[in-house]
Amino acid sequence: MKVIGDSALSSHTATAVPAKKNQQKAETAKLPREALTKEDHLEILKHLYLARYFDVRLIKEKKRGNLKGTLYSSHNQEAILVGSLFGLEPNDWISPIHRDMPAFFLKDARSGLNNPNRMGMSIEELCCQVFGKVDSPGRARDNWSHIGSKSKHIIHSTSMLAGTIPVAAGVVYADRLNGGKSVVLTYNGEGSTAQGIFHEAINFAAVHKLPVVTIVENNQWAFGTPVSMEVPTEDVADRAKGYGIPGIVADGQDVFDVYDKVMQAVAYARAGKGPSIVECKTYRAYGHGDHDDDRANKYRPADEMEEGRSRDPIRVCKEYLIKKGYLSQEDAKLYHVEGKGATQTANEDFPPDVVAYLTQGIDFALKSTEPPGEEGGMWVFREAR
Amino acid sequence: MSAIATEPTAALKKNYLTALREAIDEEMTLNHDMICLGEDIGILGGAFGVTEGLQAKYGSHRVVDMPISEACIVGAGVGAALNGKTVMCEMQFIDFISCGFDQIVNMLATYHYRTAGEVDMPVVIRGPAGAYGGGALYHSQMNEAWFCNSPGLKVVCPSTASDAKGLLKSCLRDRNPVVFYEIKELYRRRELAELLPEGDHVIPLGKAAIRREGSDVTLVSYGQNVYHCLNAADALQEQGVSAEVIDLRTLVPLDEETILASIAKTNRIVVVNEAPRTCGFAGEVIARITELGFEYLDAPPQRVTRLDTPVPWVKSLESFVLPNADKIVTAALKVVRF
Repeated sequence: MKVIGDSALSSHTATAVPAKKNQQKAETAKLPREALTKEDHLEILKHLYLARYFDVRLIKEKKRGNLKGTLYSSHNQEAILVGSLFGLEPNDWISPIHRDMPAFFLKDARSGLNNPNRMGMSIEELCCQVFGKVDSPGRARDNWSHIGSKSKHIIHSTSMLAGTIPVAAGVVYADRLNGGKSVVLTYNGEGSTAQGIFHEAINFAAVHKLPVVTIVENNQWAFGTPVSMEVPTEDVADRAKGYGIPGIVADGQDVFDVYDKVMQAVAYARAGKGPSIVECKTYRAYGHGDHDDDRANKYRPADEMEEGRSRDPIRVCKEYLIKKGYLSQEDAKLYHVEGKGATQTANEDFPPDVVAYLTQGIDFALKSTEPPGEEGGMWVFREAR
Repeated sequence: MSAIATEPTAALKKNYLTALREAIDEEMTLNHDMICLGEDIGILGGAFGVTEGLQAKYGSHRVVDMPISEACIVGAGVGAALNGKTVMCEMQFIDFISCGFDQIVNMLATYHYRTAGEVDMPVVIRGPAGAYGGGALYHSQMNEAWFCNSPGLKVVCPSTASDAKGLLKSCLRDRNPVVFYEIKELYRRRELAELLPEGDHVIPLGKAAIRREGSDVTLVSYGQNVYHCLNAADALQEQGVSAEVIDLRTLVPLDEETILASIAKTNRIVVVNEAPRTCGFAGEVIARITELGFEYLDAPPQRVTRLDTPVPWVKSLESFVLPNADKIVTAALKVVRF
């Protein structure tokens, strides 16, 4: 396996949108991260903790019998979610898939995690969904990763994964007709880029220069199949060439590299120049789902797993913050989760406000109930008004 | 002289295809949030001309020539509907709808259900369907059973010009997704041209039409086979059998009431569908009326359907596998003489 996210790769691929033409400009132009304040940097670290803790806590909740479905861990991939979402406008749309659960509450988190009017899902709603409770936005009608919210601009996925991309394209097509300036981020694994609809939808988006930024979380494994059996090119981003759109590779372990490259693609999209593919190189720390954890440790080479897990995004972020002078060595050691396995951390390893936020959602969900059975027969059709 | 006298009226008569175009045109005028997505529907005006002139009238942003991707036509339609639009998706042939199957049955049909009613999907997927024209395997299908078996979709199939217009307008105002089967063999059939009702002509979904009244046997069908049933009824009349012909018009939701009222009178039923026999819609109609009206029946219900084959190309083969008036007469006599 190629070494992911080494500095050579990052600089080689820093030329985002449209690569060759603006090479000189890109070298001198400011990176999006340079507009971030110290507080923003520290908030990004907090978002990484939130995403990590969501995963850690749900493993515990599953052991307690509270979780209804399979757990698709985003451990080791949190930088992709945090880095891509941090710079979005509140009204932008996203379409997360099963491994992106923290995205639901991280969307528009900057408007205040407990702000009821923010354009992201509340932790209470999300926890109700993962526990299969009636107070989830979808009233627990579809499996836990398949939620969304029209009012919060989160598109509901199905298990067909790339099947959400044409829907995302349609959403922004309508937005553009209405004179809007929204951008949509769609999330995909490298595996679902082999689906026909991935091509069909991005082709359509490119023809109409629609503001669709497709994030490919290349975690090297699509369930039990390695990327080499899914994609014939070294970079999934190369698929972009066929649509005449930018294909950008980001270091998926480095939240600021993801931020820079997604923000460049978002700015390009918002300016009416069209879609992009941003491939974030990462590694799936555990199984496809928790049912697959044991097998995944066998079907993947040990050295590959060790290497793939070796650059914890929280550590990479902290090192950068220390280098910037935003975080002291002492503070960096305060909440030490980096490099630890999902079951090796305790609540004390996380900042108290992070634990409190998740606990608030979980406590709410525990008090909620399963929907009454007869709701299973409701809402097949919209009744005439 | 009489020919000259009837000419002005004849000129005002509209065929099935023109009726469809009028429906789309009128709804596009009334609903500024409506868009049309399809292959060749703009510059060309559609492979059959249903959308002719609409792009010039409403602009290429509302009548969109889509890349060849039925999945994307439907998927983008779903997205546009999620963001407030009413969407007409044209399938160039209804056979091609299979390329958009996942988007229809998993994404579109379930959206309202999955979101516990938060999201409506006012999306109409329409296109030319049906055999009898030598279109062969991929330009002849009636695949309505796939969608009748996918909860969340309404399924409609008009057989007259007036119904084509009134039902399509109704579908374009419905807040639910609809798959709308147009019979391409009827598009330009002269004898079907009629004076369409004036004003806002809307026919509610879920209401069957009685095309011919009779007392001995009920023939139920939709689409092109309504005409085969009417021809069969003529032939049966010559043998002293009075057949009632029901045109379902809407398959989902199904007008059980009209069928039950008819068999309460005739006590015998033959259901005709152009699709294959196994799991075809005729089987569903018979199951329903058997559950609900067994006491009315004096004979086992009969189906006349395509054989369980694809639709072959040349006339001899095509005729062999499809329903026709003779096959319907045979089935009707069987139930009458039971």
